[in-house]
Amino acid sequence: MTDIVMEAKNVYKNYGKTEVVKNVSLQIRKGDIKLVFGPSGSGKSTFLRCMAMLTMPDKGEIYLGEECLTKPGVDLNKARARIGFVFQHIYLFRHLTAFGNVELALRQVLKLPKEQARERTLAALKEVKVFDCINKYPAQMSGGQAQRVGIARALARNPDIILLDEPTSALDPELTGEVIDTLRDLANEGTTMLIVSHEMPFAREVAEEMIFYDEGTILETGTPEHFFNAPDSDRAKKFMTRIIYKTTRE
Amino acid sequence: MDVGQEIIFLLGGVPLTLSISIISFLIGIAIGLPLAFTRVYEKEVSFIVDAYEKIFRGVPEIVLMLMFFFGLGLYFPFPFNNAFFVAAFVLGLRSGANQSQIYRGAIRGVGDEQMIAGQSVGFSKWRAIWHIMMPQVFTFSTPGLGSEYALLIKDSSYVWVIGGLAEIMTRSVWLKNVPPYDVITPYVFAAILYIALTFPVAFWLDRWGNKRKKNIGL
Repeated sequence: MTDIVMEAKNVYKNYGKTEVVKNVSLQIRKGDIKLVFGPSGSGKSTFLRCMAMLTMPDKGEIYLGEECLTKPGVDLNKARARIGFVFQHIYLFRHLTAFGNVELALRQVLKLPKEQARERTLAALKEVKVFDCINKYPAQMSGGQAQRVGIARALARNPDIILLDEPTSALDPELTGEVIDTLRDLANEGTTMLIVSHEMPFAREVAEEMIFYDEGTILETGTPEHFFNAPDSDRAKKFMTRIIYKTTRE
Repeated sequence: MDVGQEIIFLLGGVPLTLSISIISFLIGIAIGLPLAFTRVYEKEVSFIVDAYEKIFRGVPEIVLMLMFFFGLGLYFPFPFNNAFFVAAFVLGLRSGANQSQIYRGAIRGVGDEQMIAGQSVGFSKWRAIWHIMMPQVFTFSTPGLGSEYALLIKDSSYVWVIGGLAEIMTRSVWLKNVPPYDVITPYVFAAILYIALTFPVAFWLDRWGNKRKKNIGL
């Protein structure tokens, strides 16, 4: 029995002739919080979507626990139900309230009885502190509230892992704070997470490992301290300098 | 026949006009929705949808009705000798082609990201369509569906060519042929009736759609 929750082995993804993901391998163990960062357009989001099999990798293997998701014939819907995914642009179901957004998959995918689904939905919304939005539609919420409902939607299914694709990049600094607080709570509870983010103070606080991703591949990995003090590669050094300068100016 | 009697006689055709239109509208939904989703999400067979749309949007309803009633009716008296069936069926087939285009535009309007979000929580493509896309697609489609309904009310008048159904148009043609052989009044009243049957529903559908869109921020 292994405690590896998710693993990517030599994953490749091309869009036309552009190689977006090149030979990426990554292991995430139970309770890990790993943070992927790197320049925009470097393929981080595509890689994350490949991990959830929302985008099919061209080559390589993705494992969820011991199940190989890239093998033909695997029930991907069942696998995706075990993965929580939080989108950069939130993507709540617009025709449903916050409650409906969280409850839908519990009832229709996990097939939980009504009362149990209701309890879990309420608990998830409480956990991310958007209980007051319970009857609001996405359009009636602030960006921060909507993103926290997005996190509740991912969380409520008790997934093996939560993948978060730049969950704060579409939000202003104040709303970013709300979402970061939620993620910090999840981190403290031991939730396994792979986060694509540029929130460096947050990364320093909660991430066990940071992964510098550039031009479609993992260029360097290390602890937050490693990246904040002395990254190995010039690309990572330059990127860290720029991003720390930007963060201190904000 | 005086004017009052003429109006009452024409009003007697309203239930039939409405039933032909509503049934064909429902047939149109049953055909249009799967066609639209197939066209967007099952690219390999989208050419079949394309061909269907081209045929049923391209051939006039009147030709189809004559073809089905007199042509197919010759070889398959049941059900094609039934004027009501042919009217609702032909208009339904045509409406399916129109509605497919309306829904396709709506699917694009809803956006692929809703589908991806649905799949991310564990839905299969077709279950995401059912639970997530469909309710939003209907909201997006309301202006188009209002126009389609109005079109069906109007096109139900073609049933006059196959005869045997006393809907508004057929009744106005009959009226013209009875003393005092007034060729204007029956048609004017028929026209007023058609307007009265189309606009309120189209207007209501449009308003409902806009209100719903506003609620959910579309």
